[in-house]
Amino acid sequence: MFLAWSEIKRNKLRFLLITSILLLVSFLVFFLSGLANGLASMNREAVDNWDADAIVLTEESDKSLYQSSLDKDLADELGAKETAVVSQMGSIVNNGDAKKNVLLFGINKDEFITPKLSEGDPTFYVQNGVVASDALKDDGFKIGDTLELSSSDTELTIVGFTEKARFNAAPVLYMKLNDLQKIKFGESYEMNKNMVNAIIIKDSKWINLDIPKDTEIIKSETFIENLPGYTEQNLTVTYMIYFLFVISAAIVAIFLYVLTVQKISMFGLMKAQGISSSYLAKSVVAQTFILALIGVVLGFGLTLLAGSFLPSAVPVQFDLPAMLSYGLVLIAVSIAGAVISVWTIIRIDPLKAIGG
Amino acid sequence: MVLELRNAKKTFGEGNTLVEALKETNFLVERGELVAVIGPSGSGKSTFLTVAGGLQSPSEGQVIINGNELSQLNEKQRSKIRLQEIGFILQASNLVPFLSVDQQLELLNKVKKNNISRVEKKQLYEDLGITKLHKKYPSDLSGGERQRVAIAKALFSNPSIILADEPTASLDSDRAFEVMELLQHETKSKQTATIVVTHDTRLIKYFDKVYKMTDGVLTLDTTIYE
Repeated sequence: MFLAWSEIKRNKLRFLLITSILLLVSFLVFFLSGLANGLASMNREAVDNWDADAIVLTEESDKSLYQSSLDKDLADELGAKETAVVSQMGSIVNNGDAKKNVLLFGINKDEFITPKLSEGDPTFYVQNGVVASDALKDDGFKIGDTLELSSSDTELTIVGFTEKARFNAAPVLYMKLNDLQKIKFGESYEMNKNMVNAIIIKDSKWINLDIPKDTEIIKSETFIENLPGYTEQNLTVTYMIYFLFVISAAIVAIFLYVLTVQKISMFGLMKAQGISSSYLAKSVVAQTFILALIGVVLGFGLTLLAGSFLPSAVPVQFDLPAMLSYGLVLIAVSIAGAVISVWTIIRIDPLKAIGG
Repeated sequence: MVLELRNAKKTFGEGNTLVEALKETNFLVERGELVAVIGPSGSGKSTFLTVAGGLQSPSEGQVIINGNELSQLNEKQRSKIRLQEIGFILQASNLVPFLSVDQQLELLNKVKKNNISRVEKKQLYEDLGITKLHKKYPSDLSGGERQRVAIAKALFSNPSIILADEPTASLDSDRAFEVMELLQHETKSKQTATIVVTHDTRLIKYFDKVYKMTDGVLTLDTTIYE
């Protein structure tokens, strides 16, 4: 540590450069992890908010909410602890100023997925009233707005907002099941009014539930992973992060190796004097640790700082435990990058230093 | 004796390309002795120094430092012997460029077991006239000052042997004599066995014994004082 720190203090510029590279790499890693987290939230936060265990869909829908259609009476026949039905329809809403692509979720009053209001009238079950995802607020929607629908003459009214209610990147508007069924089915309402898209289950023993043929019951997490584009998007960002780990290991390795090669004759002299290879190697590892730690900590600070200046349209959401573990991985791969230098030091022949 | 070479020989290569860098050598140094090995470059001086200093093993024969037979030891053990028993003073200043004078010694203090006391250290600084330089870095020191610090490093924690490779090479006469006087003084007061490899004949007067190295053959030169 002594040798490592003394050298850093004496050669500030040199080590400032390598630290700044680590800072930028860690900034990018943290930022991407925030982006991965934010993008994931856009897709899943409504489902996460339900706090459900499982979901029943028709088998032929291939885990797609949109394609599934089953009778709502099934919910009572399952015998699960708690159930909730969801009927879903995509639409464009227009409040006169702004248009927005949304998902309408028709639900039954007092079932467990009923949203908690962050703002508005708790008795939201007025005729054609909706509780909207607060993501809509950013687009200028507010309580009392009358919404025209792209596919129907019915007009909806925003009676409240709820937090964390986006599904598959679209804001969700919760409304009374029957109101939605009327809009969704129009003239064939009477025939289809019992048909919903899914039954949401809250029961830790859901695996034992007896479900009819032609339907399947899947875990909430499985349902989320099968949302269109969700897994692909996640993997892409994750791969980028993993690649950054490799890149930072390579950068550190190259930088340290160059520094080590410059110091070969000095290390040789020190070894001739009897200072052991392991002492010198430890010093290089300690140096890497100090630099990586400083770089990662500064990168962390810079990320949080940059995050606070971002427009809300950028879907970045920082997940501190994930960032912490990525930071530790960055430090670890940096130290791995010092291995080549350590190997070089061990191979230095003290004899050469004397010119024998 | 502190350092002994017994029938030591160093060869490189084999067959037609065999080079006898150091022919069979017998050599002894006692504590308190200041000895010179003089010879032109390429004569085998450096080979002699590295073999005597435990930096490489002799091809044949034995090197005994303070009772330790070096050819029995591996590099790690020899490195330990070098650390504990030998102080090196090298031609190119053997100072670490990014450490201050204090830190140079601090580093040795950290890796060596038999630390010297604060008082001894202060005395060492005074003996070598480097008390005022203690916060300076090698790049701020003159050649003579650097060599004095190098001697301080070599003397640190009282080695039994000091090996100096051309310690005055980069110095003018006055500085060279100053450095030699220091070495002489420290050799006597600390009772170290000091071997100086040099081709600088101006320095002859400081030595107790002078050896000549010619084509790998080391001979005691008794004529030089006449």
